[in-house]
Amino acid sequence: MKTEMNALAQGFVRCHDCGCLTKIPAANRPRHCRLCGSPLHARQANSLQRTLALLISAFLLYIPANLYPIMTVTQLTAGEPHTIIGGIIELIKGDMLPIAILVLVASILVPLLKLLGIALLLLCVHYRWQVDAHKWTVMYRIIAFVGRWSMLDIFMISILVSLVDLGGIARVIAGPAATAFAAVVVLTMFAAKSFDPRLIWDNQR
Amino acid sequence: MVYFNERDLCYNSIYPHNNSWTMSRIELDACAECDLLLTPARPAVGDKARCPRCGYLLQRPRKQSVARTFALSLTGLILILPANLLPLVGIKVLGNTRDGTLWSGVLTLYREDMWAIAILVFLSSILVPLINIVLSVLVSGHLYFRRPNRYLPYWMRWLQHLEEWAMLEVYMLGIIVACVKLASMADLRFGFGLYAFIALLIVNALLASCLDPYLFWRRIEQLQHNHRHEN
Repeated sequence: MKTEMNALAQGFVRCHDCGCLTKIPAANRPRHCRLCGSPLHARQANSLQRTLALLISAFLLYIPANLYPIMTVTQLTAGEPHTIIGGIIELIKGDMLPIAILVLVASILVPLLKLLGIALLLLCVHYRWQVDAHKWTVMYRIIAFVGRWSMLDIFMISILVSLVDLGGIARVIAGPAATAFAAVVVLTMFAAKSFDPRLIWDNQR
Repeated sequence: MVYFNERDLCYNSIYPHNNSWTMSRIELDACAECDLLLTPARPAVGDKARCPRCGYLLQRPRKQSVARTFALSLTGLILILPANLLPLVGIKVLGNTRDGTLWSGVLTLYREDMWAIAILVFLSSILVPLINIVLSVLVSGHLYFRRPNRYLPYWMRWLQHLEEWAMLEVYMLGIIVACVKLASMADLRFGFGLYAFIALLIVNALLASCLDPYLFWRRIEQLQHNHRHEN
């Protein structure tokens, strides 16, 4: 019932960029939007496969991102490698609980919930779960919105690295986990972008 | 809040399609996130039109959207220079001082062989924000002076795609966390660049709320259409 109200069911394809509708007359339909020239797809091309591929890569990189040190703080001679969790524990020990919670949310909870959330969305579409599509669309929106905030840790490292470069006194060096973590953030952002929420609605009866 | 009207769905009888493949977007519209076919409402300025089925924000008309976007993006273009070049924060430890700019972080990371992160930080805090501001100057400027340009749709498309990759506000949060971490071990000084950076952030936020993509695309459509008919 619900799908009959979809533009696609009524023979229209919406341009992903400018939102303008194109009528599909069965055979030879235009391949590009008449207004903005972007390629026309009724749904994002290979949405599930692309999202899954990006999601698996992100899952794999999430492991080294948490195991390796994200930065090494050297004061005088003693070097101290920090993992993401180690940095948060350090903040809690230093009585900076609000900032610790902020970092915990941005660099642990958000990536983890994003990975799980996108996986759920994929399962929902693939197995044609009958769900409250509105709630799932809201979940998709939240996932798409929060992704960029995980870059917080990367930016913080970039600032620390450039400021704390005082020769023998103190130095901060970025660690291998930083690259892995940045890759997780970028990959999950692309995964969220390649997922097409209209697929949830298509499956509802 | 204004909802889109869901009228009866026998559009073919209302709009018998002739030989042209396309329907004007003024007659019909579809939701980007649930693909519901809609007849566009005309919400009042300051109101929001949401999809009745999934709640997606379809339109949010603003007062003088084009003129304000043009003015704000020009302001942003001016602010980008000091925000990029002047020091944001500096520290002083045992008589040693160091200033950090947007660029110094990128350069230090690059020198430490973390080139992937260096490129990512460069893109998301320097290049993409710059491109976005330039694109919105171009788009809103052309619309404001009603000058057609065949690249107008391309600029607008890129502007929409790059929007989420400009992460100035996340960078600001990074500065705050870094300052809190450093506060115990060093004296912090805030440079003039930080004030320019905060101003740029505010301008960007206002810009995002001023620019109504729906209106912009319709104005681009009109402009291109008139241009084609004059020639």
